[in-house]
Amino acid sequence: MKHRRSKAAGLGAVATLFALTLTACVPGQSAEEPIEGGGVGTEAEPVEIRMIANEAFANQWQDQMVPEFNKKFPHVKVTIDGVPYTELLAKSMLDATSDDPTYDVIVSDDNWIPQLADVGAVLDLKEEATEWTADDYDWDDFNAAPLAAGEWDGHQYGVPLRSNLLMMYTNKSLYEDAGLEAPTSDITWDEYLDQLPDLVRDTDDDGKPDVFGVDTYFAREPLTPTIWQTILNSNGGQLLTEDGEVAFDNEQGVEALQTHVDLLESAPPGAVSHTYQEPLESFRQGKVASMFTWGSVYKATAVDQDTTTLKPDEVGLQVMPVGSEGPGAHRGIWNGSVASRSEHPEAAWTLLQWLSSTEGEIWQSTELGVFPARKSTLATTPSEEWLVPVFEALQEGFDAAEAGQMWRPRLTNSDAVQQILADETSRATAGEITAEEAIENAAAKVEDELG
Amino acid sequence: MASAAGRRTRRKVGDLVSRWTFLTPATLLLVLVLAYPIMYTIRISVSHLDLRTFAPSEFVGLEYYIEAVQDDRFQNSLLVTGIYLVLALPLQIVLGFGIAYLMNAEWKGRGVVRALFLIPMVVAPVVAGGIWKMMLSPMWGVSNWALSLVGLPAVDWLGDSRLAMISLVMIDTWRWTPFVALIASAALLALPKDIFEAASVDGAGRWQTLKSITLPLLMPMIAATFVVRWLGAVKMFDIALAATGGGPGQATNVVNLYIYEQAFRGLKFPESAAMSMIVLVITMILTAVFLRISRGLETRW
Repeated sequence: MKHRRSKAAGLGAVATLFALTLTACVPGQSAEEPIEGGGVGTEAEPVEIRMIANEAFANQWQDQMVPEFNKKFPHVKVTIDGVPYTELLAKSMLDATSDDPTYDVIVSDDNWIPQLADVGAVLDLKEEATEWTADDYDWDDFNAAPLAAGEWDGHQYGVPLRSNLLMMYTNKSLYEDAGLEAPTSDITWDEYLDQLPDLVRDTDDDGKPDVFGVDTYFAREPLTPTIWQTILNSNGGQLLTEDGEVAFDNEQGVEALQTHVDLLESAPPGAVSHTYQEPLESFRQGKVASMFTWGSVYKATAVDQDTTTLKPDEVGLQVMPVGSEGPGAHRGIWNGSVASRSEHPEAAWTLLQWLSSTEGEIWQSTELGVFPARKSTLATTPSEEWLVPVFEALQEGFDAAEAGQMWRPRLTNSDAVQQILADETSRATAGEITAEEAIENAAAKVEDELG
Repeated sequence: MASAAGRRTRRKVGDLVSRWTFLTPATLLLVLVLAYPIMYTIRISVSHLDLRTFAPSEFVGLEYYIEAVQDDRFQNSLLVTGIYLVLALPLQIVLGFGIAYLMNAEWKGRGVVRALFLIPMVVAPVVAGGIWKMMLSPMWGVSNWALSLVGLPAVDWLGDSRLAMISLVMIDTWRWTPFVALIASAALLALPKDIFEAASVDGAGRWQTLKSITLPLLMPMIAATFVVRWLGAVKMFDIALAATGGGPGQATNVVNLYIYEQAFRGLKFPESAAMSMIVLVITMILTAVFLRISRGLETRW
């Protein structure tokens, strides 16, 4: 009897060890078997986690990403709530600070980590989630720029889930029609601006131009200042000093904003009220020769024939033109964080690890056109041919963003600063005030905001 | 005698109890949905707000009110809202009553037109703003195409600072004029017929009838409609958000949009609470003025 008990105990220990081994098998490991037990649930006791994310991709993730994740972690039930961009930060913070928080995973924009970390809404993944981190989860494999988006005050609160960069799109056919060579990644701002007037053409001889040189953000919205900010960064300038002092109230700042305003001369009519959607429409309809917008729309702009009139071989994607210090590529990362009061932090972190692992990144880029942040992923040969030049441009963009520190101010009140910049930028693009006045006003208000 | 007084007292108490029985649920509901949010808004407008707990902390008195009054962007948003109200309200009232007057006459197809006319009212403001934004687009919109048919040049409706406000007024007028017309139509139908018959017998023409009978009789209703519409228009937000985003520059940055941005983008909840209270007070004062004028018109005619 005693012998039988000790044998049973031994078997139990082996089973426990086996279960523990399985539990530790998180993303990146080669196990093909579904993983269960511990914090990632079992068939009898599944774990339910809830994610708050931008509505722009929440449904796509719910419908496609979650089933893919569940192939490996079948007992983690993931529900994703999509929220409009403008309300996402406030809702995330309100939920995280409420008595009974709903969300286990918070997906936040590039500059929101300081605000979320400041109210204690998210876990430090390198310190508070170590026990659930897979041994082969390679932090060093991330490009520095996207990983830095999830970092604040020396702590890593988020991992890059959807890496994005503000880049330059070109319609090679329209350049050719205008008798110009399509730009390459070494084109300077001066060369680019020289080309623009020639790209504005009247193709149907009705006396009015119907093809234009450029389209991008010009309207009153928080992402509009990122255009001139990138120009400023390319010329070696910054919005704020390392000590958080205003650093753009100078000739360099005025010049950068003036360049942004000058783009309107070669933009389609009404471009002063354009934000994200309108440039995409005009570019996809073959009406503008170049566009500054997010790299993530490449697939829908050049590949998906349901959404574009263009073909991959006629759409160029490259870093923004070169300034005195180098090319431009403004960073825009969607970070994934584990809510600090989540009841299932292991499952939440497991989902984020899988999504940000090489395996998850390759799946996302191939199936959803989402851009990776890992050097190893960008170094692979993509299964889709159209991704090859895109990966090259992205790597170049990440390097440029890192070198020029091309991102929005990382402050606990960064959105307030961004709104001030948006207001004054819009007044300049609308012609209400000069670029010089706009920079002066913005600098005074940002100084006031920063106290 | 004593029993009669007792009966009267019992009746009074019974009356009081039955009144409060009916009043209590409504009063409680009102306190919950109206008074509590207002009191909470006042509380956070005079305190620092700890975002970690989302609870008011240190009392700061009128600090945020002073900040709001000194904020030139807030001042500008009040001015923009004023311009919008001055342009939109009279236009909607005149158009609404004018259309109702036309609709009141007998003509073929009136019922169909009246039904179609109500469609804008059921369109959500954000959708209305989005649709109009597409229609007014200089590149893709139908509006400039229509102008070109009659030889007029293309217009940048939403990109020009002055035209953007006019566009906003136009969209709001498209949406709300049917509401005014509906009320005006009901008011016209309720006018006493005998006065019009007497005027006709006395040989009054159409213009004379309109000027001397219809308008004076309608004046209290016009004033009341103005007040109702004023209370709706002062909340302008969704259409501006969807159509112009407050731009170009600050041209259509109405006060509610500005407060929303301060609260939900800038996370400046106490500041925006103070601004909301200022707007509430201004609205209440102006509403009281309009109601007084309205009562004056009622007694005058």
